Amino acid sequence: MKIEVLFPEICNLFGDLYNINYLEKCLPEVQRVHTPLTGQPLFLTEEPALVYLGPMSERSQEKVLEKLRPCRDRLAELIQNGAAFLLTGNAGEVFGSYIENEDGSRIEGLGLLPLHARRDMMHRHNSVFLGEFQGAEAMGFKSQFTMAWPEAGAQGLFPVKKGVGLNPQCPYEGLRQGNLFFTYLLGPVLLLNPQLAEALLAAMGAGGTPLALAPEMAEAYQARLRDFHEKV
Amino acid sequence: MKRNLPFYFALFVSKLSILALRLMGRKGTNLPGGCAIFLCRDFLGRMPRPKTVIGITGTNGKTTVANLVEDVLDRRGVSYCCNRSGSNVDTGVASALIASSDWLGRPKKELAVFELDERSSNLSMPYIKPDLLLCTNIFRDSYKRNAHPEFIVDVLNRYIPDGVKLILNADDLMCASLKPENPRVYFSIAPQPGEESGSENIVQDVRACPRCGAVLNWDLRRYHHIGRAQCPACGFASPAGDYTAALLEEGRMRVEMGGQAYPFPLPDQRLINVYNSLAAVALLRELGLEPEAIAQAMAQTGISATRFLEEEANGRKVILHLAKGQNPVACSRAFQNIRDYPGKKAAILFLDDYFDAAHTVENISWYYDADFEFLADDSVVQIIAAGARHWDVYLRLLMAGVKPERARHLRDTSQAAELVGPEVEAVFILYDVYTIGLANKVKNQIQQGRGAPAGESAGSGKASPHQGDGSSLR
Repeated sequence: MKIEVLFPEICNLFGDLYNINYLEKCLPEVQRVHTPLTGQPLFLTEEPALVYLGPMSERSQEKVLEKLRPCRDRLAELIQNGAAFLLTGNAGEVFGSYIENEDGSRIEGLGLLPLHARRDMMHRHNSVFLGEFQGAEAMGFKSQFTMAWPEAGAQGLFPVKKGVGLNPQCPYEGLRQGNLFFTYLLGPVLLLNPQLAEALLAAMGAGGTPLALAPEMAEAYQARLRDFHEKV
Repeated sequence: MKRNLPFYFALFVSKLSILALRLMGRKGTNLPGGCAIFLCRDFLGRMPRPKTVIGITGTNGKTTVANLVEDVLDRRGVSYCCNRSGSNVDTGVASALIASSDWLGRPKKELAVFELDERSSNLSMPYIKPDLLLCTNIFRDSYKRNAHPEFIVDVLNRYIPDGVKLILNADDLMCASLKPENPRVYFSIAPQPGEESGSENIVQDVRACPRCGAVLNWDLRRYHHIGRAQCPACGFASPAGDYTAALLEEGRMRVEMGGQAYPFPLPDQRLINVYNSLAAVALLRELGLEPEAIAQAMAQTGISATRFLEEEANGRKVILHLAKGQNPVACSRAFQNIRDYPGKKAAILFLDDYFDAAHTVENISWYYDADFEFLADDSVVQIIAAGARHWDVYLRLLMAGVKPERARHLRDTSQAAELVGPEVEAVFILYDVYTIGLANKVKNQIQQGRGAPAGESAGSGKASPHQGDGSSLR
């Protein structure tokens, strides 16, 4: 079983790579493959159990798009076939229709996810988010320059309970398309949300795998939720 | 910009506010400037500036460098104004200028030294137009404020005025590449005899050549992206230093400048503070002070006790170490310092953001950019995490490979001192800028004998590593 981490040298801004460290802890036999921006993606020749892309700077988004554009059809095929993807932070924007700058200019995305994003580099959005995922509460943190707007056919990942979804009016955060999971929630989102970790493991074909550090993770999760309900 | 009626009105009101604050026995380090900028938005641009203005910016070390520079100036009898007791944003700068001006705003001092926040440089630099601007380094910092380093580089490149002479860290490629058209000098620490690259860090924000994008080759990587690199594709390389610490010895460094070498005392031997001292030397020399005069004054200075304080009590060292919250690089440096300190150590971690802990749930993603892995070293025999996010810190410690039996955690910070075990020879207390009061309190508790004295058994030694959310042991 292989996990392909795309461009970790630039797509690693907010501790997000620990999502993969955590999956490795759950699946000791898993092979982690780092594909640098100068390398050939593994997914072109194989079907990894998971393809992961983390958050990146705005200039890096353009480099990543340039790199992935020739691979668009293969990515579409993999998504269609139910391959597991995890996209965190602004990585999802790369898979969307387009990213709009403040001056109205657009950067065309891969067109694989039904959403587009708008940048506002003078206003950083920071918030704590509470949503639902498979009957449980999902919590996380947002820190971003963009808001996203879903397009026809979009399916949200986390219905909003409190906080801001893809945009302030959107009733959900993130998108799910088959086994592709995209969320703006930053950092080690799997370590923060045990149910999401279980769902992703299932999407990778490792359903029922016991979660590593499950008791500690559950205590930390409950403590965070308690604080959220008391303070936010 | 010309002085106008709103400017004079703002100046008058802010001067009155200084008087009022003095009458109330308060210093008022930020209020007068805030008041002035509220009443006259471009107040800083209209305020007459001293003849020479020095700016000190960067992610880490700017307060330490500013303090060192000011201490040397004090000892040389140079008169100046500064924002040392205020904030490093526009309101702090305005307050300092107002306080050292007459009722018409004319400066009473010919020199100003300002520590300048890099993120909000748009509010200060275009107005005060420094003559000399030093940048210590550029690192990943608070996600909320600073987003990512590339964003900060863009902000600085946009708002540092053209023509300002820059003093830059040659061993930080992001810092060294600022405003390429501006005049500049570099400071650098030469590879030392036998020096090897340091441990791999999680955060390494310069991996590709800033010119052509190829993966860089590192001749020496000290920590994160600090070191000497060159590009195999286009020949781009770390610039040579104009102020080079050629040799580091016990308590001093030899700095090469202008073809000659001079000895300077080092108030602190840790590499990060060698960079800070070297930066201060470069700035003071650019300001025109003679090397011998700088060295003489530096021999009487130290690193501020609010940043690092080492004391001895009950047979063990107690060390207060600032670890700026939500700043993964600053915390990684602190964790490495703990690992590298001799003997058996305990680390008490107060990592919560003071305000977030009171009002919300802190974004703890930054824990996973900080090198907690240094604390998994066998010499760190005990780690005590206390505060609102103690379960998250504990989880991070386990992910870092820390043995569960070495980690204790509890919500109640006041009980942390009691958990220190008997085998510990040095206790590090890590704290954020706003929790120094708590850190001092715990230091005093340890010095007064709370916790197991060195060599004796700990009263709470049988307790579970988890103390839950209450204050009692489970």
